[in-house]
Amino acid sequence: MTLLFNLSLATYFVALVCAVVFLMSRARFFDGAANLLILAGGVIQTVYLGVRWAQAGRAPFSNMFESLVLFAWAIAAVYLVLRIRTRLPWLTAAAAALSALAMAHASTFESEIRPLMPALQSNWLSFHVMTCFLGYGGFAISALVAVGFLVADRKGSAVQAETKTSLEAVLTQTISFGFLFLTLGILTGAVWANSAWGTYWSWDPKETWSLITWFIYAAFLHCRFMRGWRGRRAAWISIIGFLSVLFTYYGVNFLLSGLHSYA
Amino acid sequence: MSDSRDMKVPSVPAEPRNSFFGFLASLKFALVVVLLITLACVAGTVVPQGSQQVASYLMRHPEARPVMNVLSVLGLTRVFYSWWFVVLLFVFAASLAACTARRFAMIRRTSGATRARVIGSFITHVSLILVLAGGVVRVLWGQKGVIQLHEGEIATQAENVDAPIILPFSVRLAKFELELHETPASSAGSDKLHVQWMEKDLHVDFPVELNVEHFVIPADTPAGAEPAYKVTVLRYVPDFAFDGASGEVKSRSDEPNNPAVQISVAGDGATNTQWVFARFPNFGGHSGAVPMPLKFNFEAAQNPMTRGQQAPIKAFKSTLEFLESDNVVATRTIAVNSPFSHRGYTFYQLSYDPNDLKFSALQVVKDPGVPVVYGGFVLMMAGLALVFCVGPWLGSQAQT
Ligand code: HEM
Repeated sequence: MTLLFNLSLATYFVALVCAVVFLMSRARFFDGAANLLILAGGVIQTVYLGVRWAQAGRAPFSNMFESLVLFAWAIAAVYLVLRIRTRLPWLTAAAAALSALAMAHASTFESEIRPLMPALQSNWLSFHVMTCFLGYGGFAISALVAVGFLVADRKGSAVQAETKTSLEAVLTQTISFGFLFLTLGILTGAVWANSAWGTYWSWDPKETWSLITWFIYAAFLHCRFMRGWRGRRAAWISIIGFLSVLFTYYGVNFLLSGLHSYA
Repeated sequence: MSDSRDMKVPSVPAEPRNSFFGFLASLKFALVVVLLITLACVAGTVVPQGSQQVASYLMRHPEARPVMNVLSVLGLTRVFYSWWFVVLLFVFAASLAACTARRFAMIRRTSGATRARVIGSFITHVSLILVLAGGVVRVLWGQKGVIQLHEGEIATQAENVDAPIILPFSVRLAKFELELHETPASSAGSDKLHVQWMEKDLHVDFPVELNVEHFVIPADTPAGAEPAYKVTVLRYVPDFAFDGASGEVKSRSDEPNNPAVQISVAGDGATNTQWVFARFPNFGGHSGAVPMPLKFNFEAAQNPMTRGQQAPIKAFKSTLEFLESDNVVATRTIAVNSPFSHRGYTFYQLSYDPNDLKFSALQVVKDPGVPVVYGGFVLMMAGLALVFCVGPWLGSQAQT
């Protein structure tokens, strides 16, 4: 168990090293290795989550440790799907770094499998966490792309306009993906709350912050599609959106209190 | 996923820009409303909400009272239930409705990928209106109350702060059950008796098992020699009380408020019986006290039931009988996360009393808005799928 966990963390870390070596040396071998390693890390994590699922007899998505593992998994998954069509070597490094970071952070939390309190024993909850984190994975990648765009767009940069346009397209794609899954996540969460407490919405801080995040990305999509917003403005909105994701995920747990404070 | 190429903005039907309707339906107005709601939401999570949170905040930060007074006058300590927030939500709905109405005419003038997107956004906007409408239905016609029952008791109404909810039937608690997870085999979660023999530098832990003999054997005992002492747990009480009148030891409750074990220690040709208290390690009453070199500590595991949310409680369930004119029309066992609806009233397992396992508290909710809201949820996912999946797919088909 712990072996699989450590193995996936190490795999992401080695992927990061390979990706950085590729950026510096341009030896293609390292690009291929980095991508294969991220794939391997994702597969190992999938096995890890599967084993944990079987051992616990429930979906392994119920506390900070488990959700961070899921976060790392979602980042790798979104990156790999994106990679089918788009090759961005620096994104390989950034995604590997983020996944490794999430796993390293997970290792600082209690990993013991605990029985769940009755309110958490729900299939809706598993769907809820799964979809939210796929959405967060999309937003994490979009924030990396937005930072990449801002770097490419700074004064005196030699990056071609074409590259920047493709970055904008990737930004929109990943945010669309994240938005679809965040929406599904919020809705399944509401259904779960209604079956557990008889209220689908109670303005609990975590719910409220997920709504704030949803509004920010809805605004992004409208500005993008209706107003044709692009460039730095669009990049900044997506970075603000991801900060809101992070606050929804961490800030609410540690700074505010509410129904969700157990996870 | 969407692609920027097929996302050209379709021309908005010529609507006089200065008309009130045009203003209401505009994206600019919608964005301003969304921004205001977002700011209100931030305030509603950062500022303490409700009199309880405000009071406990002021306890910790008494110097903040003037600030809190200002916030409270501004309505920021009750954001989500204030009139201005409700007004904002209505303006939000109106803006969505106006935009949706204006967009409706456009659908027919589109085709292919654009049409999928326009229909999708139309459906998404309608779904948001439905969700908000469902919320209004709940506020206007919804009811929520609590029923507290002992096994065998019947209720015909639910308590509510305003007025009791009179049910069109009655409900009887046939049975309440509390299921615990099996206690883990590891010793971490169980009771331990710690034995110490200073002179021999000996420390051992025994599990607390009734009537099982445990031997205390110092390291310098020659092989084959009799164990120096035998320790046996005779009795365990979770909540120790000494009844002076009868001279008997009793347990005041099943809660581990004052856990204690009675042990017998045999060795050196004598037997001592004594009580060891988890909470009072230095308070050990000997009876028939022969001086012995052993010291005992009782390390009681925290009782699972009092550990609140982390408790390994598997489930708590109430079996309810629904009665109409004295006939049982339905019998159902409800648990947390599996409520049951009868004639529009949904029964939720709310809580129980660890001191009285024949008691159950139920929540009763009548919310005719739920089907509307759930309908909105389904439409929203359908609309988003059209915008983000079907549209781009049609777009890419058209290009190849
Ligand atoms: C947060 C709540 C929302 C508000 C206040 C809102 C409001 C608006 C407004 C005012 C317009 C412009 C209408 C016009 O100019 O005729 C619009 C267009 C649009 N909205 Fe929304 N909307 C919301 C949520 C959504 C969501 C969740 C989606 C799904 C992704 C969406 C998709 C669209 C699309 C695709 C358009 C362009 C429609 C077209 O091209 O025909 N909206 N929205």
